[in-house]
This record gives sequence, structure tokens and C-alpha cells, in this order.
Amino acid sequence: MVNRKLAKVSTFRYKILATVFIVLAGGLVLLPKHEKHEGIKPELLLANLISTERYISTDILADKIINNDPSFILIDVRNEESYSNFTIGDALNIPLEKFLDEVSINYLDQNQYDIIFISNDNFYAEQAWMLGSRLGFKNLHVLEGGINKWFNTIINPKKPTETMPEEQFVLYSNRKAASMFFGVAYPEQFKPAKKDKAIVKTKQPAPPKKVIKVKKKKKAPAEGGC
Amino acid sequence: MNIEKNNRTVYWNPYFGGFLLGILIILTFYITGRGLGATGALKSGVVAVVDAVAPTHAANNAYYSKFIPEEKSVLDSWLVFEAIGVILGAIISGGLSGRIAWKIQRSPKITNRRRLIFAIGGGILFGLGAQIARGCTSGAGLSGMSVLSTGGFITVISIFGAGYLAAYFFRKNWI
Amino acid sequence: MGPLLPNGIIPTEWDSLIAILIGLVFGFILESSGFSSSRKLAGVFYGYDFAVLKVFFTAALVALIGMYYMDYLGYMDLAQLYVHPTYLWGAIIGGIIMGVGFVSAGFCPGTSLCALAIGKIDAFAYVGGALIGIFIFSELFTLFQPLYDGTFLGNVTLMDTFDINPYWFVFIFTLIAILIFVISDLIRKRTKKQVYN
Repeated sequence: MVNRKLAKVSTFRYKILATVFIVLAGGLVLLPKHEKHEGIKPELLLANLISTERYISTDILADKIINNDPSFILIDVRNEESYSNFTIGDALNIPLEKFLDEVSINYLDQNQYDIIFISNDNFYAEQAWMLGSRLGFKNLHVLEGGINKWFNTIINPKKPTETMPEEQFVLYSNRKAASMFFGVAYPEQFKPAKKDKAIVKTKQPAPPKKVIKVKKKKKAPAEGGC
Repeated sequence: MNIEKNNRTVYWNPYFGGFLLGILIILTFYITGRGLGATGALKSGVVAVVDAVAPTHAANNAYYSKFIPEEKSVLDSWLVFEAIGVILGAIISGGLSGRIAWKIQRSPKITNRRRLIFAIGGGILFGLGAQIARGCTSGAGLSGMSVLSTGGFITVISIFGAGYLAAYFFRKNWI
Repeated sequence: MGPLLPNGIIPTEWDSLIAILIGLVFGFILESSGFSSSRKLAGVFYGYDFAVLKVFFTAALVALIGMYYMDYLGYMDLAQLYVHPTYLWGAIIGGIIMGVGFVSAGFCPGTSLCALAIGKIDAFAYVGGALIGIFIFSELFTLFQPLYDGTFLGNVTLMDTFDINPYWFVFIFTLIAILIFVISDLIRKRTKKQVYN
């Protein structure tokens, strides 16, 4: 009895198979389409966003520049005018509006360097970080407080008052040393003492330009079948 | 007639074979990101031989030099390993169904010699054509069609189209 | 998310082993489907056996539908797959030459390897011929180069070329394939059967 039923089914087997194929292929047409996410998932992005790991303090940055640390690239995301007025170290200028240009992507989408975004404060740097993270770029960082904080801490450090703890004095002397590296003149450096506390030189003693070789991202092996 | 002799020409249902092959193609793409191939291994073989016999000639030839990697051997390529696998797989399958035997398969109407000459001729044409089209029925056809490559479809249509047009002239070999 | 090797989920050291395993299964399926028999293969051109057509189109269909579902469900990124490049005239003329070779010898390279493995001497002759063919092409490469490198359209898919919806295309392709299967069965019933093994 079962066998007979099976035999009956098996005579239709090709029709059944054909139907299955058509249903499956039709399913593809009828399934609701959703937009695919380019880059990383929103949940991961949110997790990265909440985490403060992306911030780099001005002291660490100053330290990196002074020690000629080759592992990072500074990217100034302000407009060209502000960039030409002042920037930190040998930062590259990639204004936000040019963020997605092919040339910029070559610098941003890589795995070799730590990228540190800088702007006047956190704002534009954060936007650049967000955009880059969304696209799945790696090793992106933001200079905490931006160039404003850079000025207040490194270029023009506040002298701690007598009552402040010991560490503050250490920090101050470090910062002062750093600011001298960046070309700030202090009164005690010169014999004829100047009245002004510190003069920020507009021209920097141009540190040697880092040659950044950006390796093209390795694509999947483009080798044919035959 | 014993069962074993019968078994020799009993092949899988073509739809079943096709289904498994389709699954394999999906798996291959899922794991490696590219499809199957066969002529690539033959090409590596030719390049390896020429490179061993006349290295300077191979380096000067614009085509060979494309396929001579700097650090490793020519034969150390994905497609060569795959071809080795194909041969092993066929031996296993043929061995299980008792199909392994030295023989020349031909239509009873033609001689062995004719069959071999046409096989060599067909091989030369296929080798040549596969290089021009950058792929054979597996590389360009199967794998190309699976990712909807335009070139893959064109190649398949050309192969079967030319095959049907030429079939008349070769009919004596087969029917 | 696939593909696994390009995305570094499987280390590349496994590459060769995976190649052998995939080849093993490929060879097994081809041989078991009867692709080691040149007379079975050639049957597609004379109407006495459509195994090639059926295996070929079923495989393409299963792969297409399967991969689109995997892409849809997020297991695999179709955009990352290797797309066979399109060199228009190379594909056409190469295909024509291969077609003639196919009818002449009854093998294509993949199937010839299977036939060779189970001891078909004509397959050895065929593989030898294919090696000679590749050798001729390479030696005369300068002659073939305009054809080989010409009319490059990129690694394009049918969607790029004809601007069609891939899902609809898969659906229509399925219908066409089933139609071809039905027609091929009708033709085979009218053709004189050939005995071969």
C-alpha cells in the first residue's frame, strides 16, 4: 500500500521538483527587500560610540609627536583655511566634505596606522570618526578636546598654583617641555627677560614630513576559475 | 549478467548530480569566494614545463610570465590542487562502481585511431578556446553562470551554439 | 559571513587542503553523473542523452537560487564573489572554438580529468591535446593578444549589462531551465537510443 503510494508520487517527482524550484525562485522575487547595511552593524557602532577608547589626550599626542612615533597619522578635518593657519604637527588635511573622495579613502581605509582626527574641538573630529566607523574603517581615534585643548594644555600650559599636588607640577613641566618642542618661547629661555609670558610662533620648526605609504587593501584573489 | 556489470553504466539521476553539484558550487563560493575550474590546472602544467625547460623563454613570453609567481612554484596554485582532487574523486567514484579500466571509448562505427585523433584535435581546440575565453565549461560556464557573469553566459551560449552547429559534421563519430 | 577565505575566517594555510577536498567532491559528482563517458556527453548534441544539459542547468539553478537566499539571509556577500570577467569577443570566439572541440572530442577539461582518472585512453589523448592547445596559444600570444585583451567590459554581471532585477532574472531563468528539461525529454524520446558504456 505504502509502496504503491510511493510509486504514484515518484511518477510525479519531476513535476514536484520543478514546482519546488519555481516556488523557491518565486520566493526570491516576492520576499520583501531590505536595504543592506554597508559597513558595520548599528549595534556595534553604538557600542563603539559609547566607549571612550577612541579618545586620545593631548599629552599622549604630544608625546607621540616628540618621540617621532611612526605608527599614527594625524588627520585635520577642518577646512583648508583653518588648516593652513595652524595645525598640529604634520597633520594631513581632509576636510569633512572631501571625506569620501577616493584619495581620502585610501588614507582612511587601511590597517597600518592609527588615525587621529583633529578639529577645533571634538565636534567635527567626532563626525569624521562616526562616518569612518560606519564604513568599517579601523584604528580611528579622536583628539580629545581638539586643537583648543591642545593650545590650553600643550602650547600654553597653565602654571599650577603652589597648593596643587605634586603630579600637577610634573605634568606642567612635561607640557612646558613639549611646548618648547613645538616652538613656544619662554621668558626664562632668554637672557633679556621678556614681559610676555609665551609667544606662540605661527611658523613651526617643520618636523620632517612623514612619508606615508598607504598599502592598497588586499582584495580577494582575483583569479579565475579556469 | 551479474549485477556488477550492470552497474557500470548506471549513473546518478542527472538532476540529483546537478543538485549536488549546485550545492558544491555554493559551498565553494561560500568558502573561497570563487568558483570551480579545470583548465587553470592544465595551464599551470604547461607553464611549469616550459619554465623548467626554457626559463628565459618563459620569462620573456608575455603570457607565461603572467602566471609565474615570484616566490612559489607555478604548480602551487589553488586550481592545481583542485584538479588533483578531481582526479582522486573520480577514481573513488569509478572504483566504487567498478568503472576503472583501460579502454578507448568510441562509437562502434569508427576506429580507435580515428577516435584518438579527434580526441587530440578536440583537446587542442578546447585548450586554445579556453585560453581565449579565459575559462572552460566549469570556470566560465558553471561558476560564471552562478554569479550571473555576462561573460560566463556568453561563453556558454557560444560553446553550445557552436557545438550544435558543428554536430552535423562530426556525427559519424558518435551516432 | 562568507566568503570565508577572503574574509580571513579560515586562515589561508588551509587553502590547498580545501582545494583538494572541493576537487574531490567535484570529481566524484562528475564521474557519478556519467561525465567520464564521452559518448554520454556528446549525446547532448545528437539528442540521445541530455545528462550534460540537465546536470549543468540544475547545478547552475541550485547554485543561483541558493546563493541568492544566502545573500538575502546575510550568510554571504555576493558582492565579494569573484565574477568572471567579460571580454566580449574573446568569450564569443573562444566559446565557438571550444564548442567545436567539444563535439569533436566529447570532453571538456573537467570531465576529461575524470575520464582520465578511470583509465580512458582517449581522455589521455584529449588532455595531451589540451596541453598542446594551451602551448600553441601561449607561444602565439602576441597574435591572440588583441582578441584576448580586447573589448573588455569589466567583471560585469547580467544586472550591470542589461540593468535587470536579479531576482526576476533568477525566476525567469528557472522557468526557462525547466522548459529546456521538458523539451530535452521530448526530443530524447524521439531519438534512436544509443548503446554505450
